[in-house]
Amino acid sequence: MPELRLSMTTEARTVLTDLLRLIAPAAARVSVNRARVPEADGEVAAFWTETLKAQAEEEARLLAVAFASAKGNPAIIVLRNEAQALAFLRALSAVRMALRDLVFADIPDAELEAAAELDDETLPTEKRHALACYTCFGLLQQSLVLQLDPEAFD
Amino acid sequence: MAKPKIKPEIKTESVVAPAPKWNVVVLNDPINFTGYVVVAFVSVLRIPKAEAKRLMRQVHEEGRATVWTGERERAELLALELQQWHLNAILEVDA
Repeated sequence: MPELRLSMTTEARTVLTDLLRLIAPAAARVSVNRARVPEADGEVAAFWTETLKAQAEEEARLLAVAFASAKGNPAIIVLRNEAQALAFLRALSAVRMALRDLVFADIPDAELEAAAELDDETLPTEKRHALACYTCFGLLQQSLVLQLDPEAFD
Repeated sequence: MAKPKIKPEIKTESVVAPAPKWNVVVLNDPINFTGYVVVAFVSVLRIPKAEAKRLMRQVHEEGRATVWTGERERAELLALELQQWHLNAILEVDA
């Protein structure tokens, strides 16, 4: 598989990198809290929780390195193989999950599905900023899915 | 004349009940895109894309879909892998 590329303006890269720095420490906690871990078997539950926590920490590292390494204008993230691309896809999903839980948990699911239309000037600035970033991470994710499988979306 | 005491004969038979089957169920969420869910299903469940799309549509339209049924250990593994894709996966005993 040829390498995959994600491009964004340098301004977007700067804003998303700053947001990642803020949200990454909490992403692991969100990931574990959201998961429905089966509790009947303590050993299984402990393994389950540790696996999710370790993965979330790895995803935070992956995103931080990828955005820090994206140079040029437009800034380009290069993913060299399918495994890297799939890991990056999951990491983008994790950060969107964390934003949903930590910044706009009060927004109903139905409204969040059309997040791009949620640019409401009555919302506090920080929330509008986080929503814009949430949408940007989503656009990067969609671009990556389309490169991996052009027919994945109907 | 005393009646003979008859000891009732009790036969017991042990039957091994089959282990219950477990369902891996994915619930809808407002965060993950449909195409992403298709990629996740193909990657984790190793199913053809058409089947992955059918399951994704079921999750999206009905709010949930059973994506795999079988023995418990494998179900746990698949549910964990789907959660690693940040999908809302749960385990249920198959009725």
